[in-house]
Amino acid sequence: MKRFLALGLSLVLTMSLLVGCSNKTEETTTAETTETTTETTTETTTDSAETEEALPEGVLSLEEATLRIYAQYSDDDTKVPYDYAVEQLAIAYPNVKLELEVQAQDDGQKLMTYAATGNLPDIFQVALAQIENFKESGNIMALNDVAKSTGFEDKVFESAKNILYNEDGNIYAFPYAGNEYVVWYYNKAIFEQYGVAVPTTYDELLAAAETFKANDIVPMAIFGAEGWITAAMYDVLATRWDAGGIAKLDDGKGTADEEAYVKAAEMMHTLVNAGLFQESATTSNYDQASAMFLNGEAAMFLNGQWFMTDATATLGENVDWMYYPSYDAASYEAGKAVWSGGGAAAGYAVNPNSEHATLAAEVAAFISEKYCEAKVMYRGTPLVALDVDAEPETEFPAMMEKLQSILPEITSITKFDWHLTNGTFKTTLEDQTKYMLVKDYTAEEFITELGNSLAQ
Amino acid sequence: MKKFYSNKLAIFFFTLPALLVFSVMVFYPITQVFVKSFYDWNGLGSGTFIGFENYVKLFKDTVFKLSNKNALIFSLFITIFQITLATVFSLVVSDKRTKGRNILRVSYFIPVVLSVTVVCQLWLAILNSDSGLLNQLFKAVGLDYQQNWLSDRNHAIYVIAFVNAWQWMGYQFALMMAGIKAIPNDYYEAAKIDGASSFMAHRKVTIPLLKETYKICLTISLTGGVKAFTEMFIMTKGGPGNATHTLTYLMYKAAFREFRYGYGMASASILVLQCIAIILIINWLFRDKEKKEGK
Repeated sequence: MKRFLALGLSLVLTMSLLVGCSNKTEETTTAETTETTTETTTETTTDSAETEEALPEGVLSLEEATLRIYAQYSDDDTKVPYDYAVEQLAIAYPNVKLELEVQAQDDGQKLMTYAATGNLPDIFQVALAQIENFKESGNIMALNDVAKSTGFEDKVFESAKNILYNEDGNIYAFPYAGNEYVVWYYNKAIFEQYGVAVPTTYDELLAAAETFKANDIVPMAIFGAEGWITAAMYDVLATRWDAGGIAKLDDGKGTADEEAYVKAAEMMHTLVNAGLFQESATTSNYDQASAMFLNGEAAMFLNGQWFMTDATATLGENVDWMYYPSYDAASYEAGKAVWSGGGAAAGYAVNPNSEHATLAAEVAAFISEKYCEAKVMYRGTPLVALDVDAEPETEFPAMMEKLQSILPEITSITKFDWHLTNGTFKTTLEDQTKYMLVKDYTAEEFITELGNSLAQ
Repeated sequence: MKKFYSNKLAIFFFTLPALLVFSVMVFYPITQVFVKSFYDWNGLGSGTFIGFENYVKLFKDTVFKLSNKNALIFSLFITIFQITLATVFSLVVSDKRTKGRNILRVSYFIPVVLSVTVVCQLWLAILNSDSGLLNQLFKAVGLDYQQNWLSDRNHAIYVIAFVNAWQWMGYQFALMMAGIKAIPNDYYEAAKIDGASSFMAHRKVTIPLLKETYKICLTISLTGGVKAFTEMFIMTKGGPGNATHTLTYLMYKAAFREFRYGYGMASASILVLQCIAIILIINWLFRDKEKKEGK
């Protein structure tokens, strides 16, 4: 009996190991996402010259190909646009099949491995730092011609031209997200309940924190396990003194020991020691911190503007955003036009060594455009790179309308952490701003480490 | 057997597959680590030879110094914790008079078979400073000892070392149990006849005869401590800040987050050298008595 039991157990373990090692999940995802495409694939292949003349309405090409695509596909914000784009692709490129490989949250390591082994997918989502690496090694295609021939270039908003062109003037990726913003959210109901006015200066912010703490409310929830948000917090503070923020340091136009950065570090230290953030700030992930805000345990929250849809869905009219507080009333007013956030020349890129490189580039442009449409229609954000002819399914959240109304007044934006190009500075900034959440970590230590990273 | 050993061709062909696998999978990559440490390399292409520049930068890097300090703390903590407890537990469990030996034996080993990720998540939940079990426990018994266990820059490394030590103590325990079982019962009977107590029997018989086991345990825990990574990666991401960085984490950060593969390889080279040094020192400390006396 024991032998049979042991044999059975061994078999189960072996099978589970084999199942775990297989790439079934990947295949399933591919199958699911390409279902529509496969269904519409026709068996006839015609001469390209003839097809150009006889393309049915809505069809852009009848060229047949199977393209590997490496893209984000993990939550509604990434799944909805991708699924929509695939659906539209089936109409415009009926003979193109997409094989999706879901992008790993690994700082681009998998993509680097693919590049190093000559196994890059035909189309891949890429960040700015990787574009610089891939440019040097010839792993990324210049998309200037395709951007022109497909009309992509003409559709880019004038205000988003900065995220289309690389520093060298070429286009290496088709962006879909426009310039985005770091937003300081607050729970209006909590503020009203405890009679706290929206803070405009740091003194008011500290006073508000005291009131909330006295009533067992966390003044501000932050997901300090992720470096980008702590870097954003520091950037928000730094931009009050210098509009360049962290972007100026990344571009090599400033040094860490400049007054603005020192003062921002000192202010962050003061806020941390005043108990602005929750006790477990350094280890809190996004789910934990956002839950604190959405459950009414925290009065304020820092995140990108993409959080507006979810925040409104849970908190309704009780949630709003405020301008970043500053060191005095005058700088607060002036700072209303200076925001943390931004965009970068990143998005869907193409492998120049792809068997169907030109077609892949056209498809990448098409997908990016469809992403913009989906984001406007289904994700409640007008902040996209292209001027698309799409209407939102439902009205934009009130917070988004408010943000949209002040966009023309914004004169300066910085960079999100993931758009920084100096890799050493980026990781140091992430680690060090996370470190700043520790009460006994001083501003001097922070500035020294930041300076060292810029010197490398 | 003698005939087999005299057949050089057979030895060559039987060892060839293993040698090939070792060379391709272990020796070549390690050699490459050392070679690439002399290059300015972003992971793609061939890079630029820059001599010892990566090492010069590394030795000036404050995080490198901190990483070494952390590795030392981590190694010593887990070694002392694991070997002490594993010795005590294995002696107790190997005693036939101990009740519930089987349950104890399984209990001590259970953490070893758990996934590191699961263990880290478990301890993350326990150590959470806002809602964690540990702080709540202190609160419940009226102790004002609420701590930011993983956010304390001076103590986070000890907390992480404890999690590692807690999980892998069972492995050392299993090794020692196997070592104790291999000791013939005659020695204990002889000790008993000579009037030795249980404590004396263990001191004079068990512990000395577990010398080889201790050597393995020390090697595992010290090298494991020096190259620690997983717990830091999952629980603190090397933080707060870089307070729980180790050389492996520094290598990971430089190579995979900053795309400074050359610098990362320099860090990895130092790590390899440290591990080799530890093994050589342990072998020297545990060398045979004859060799010690120079015979």
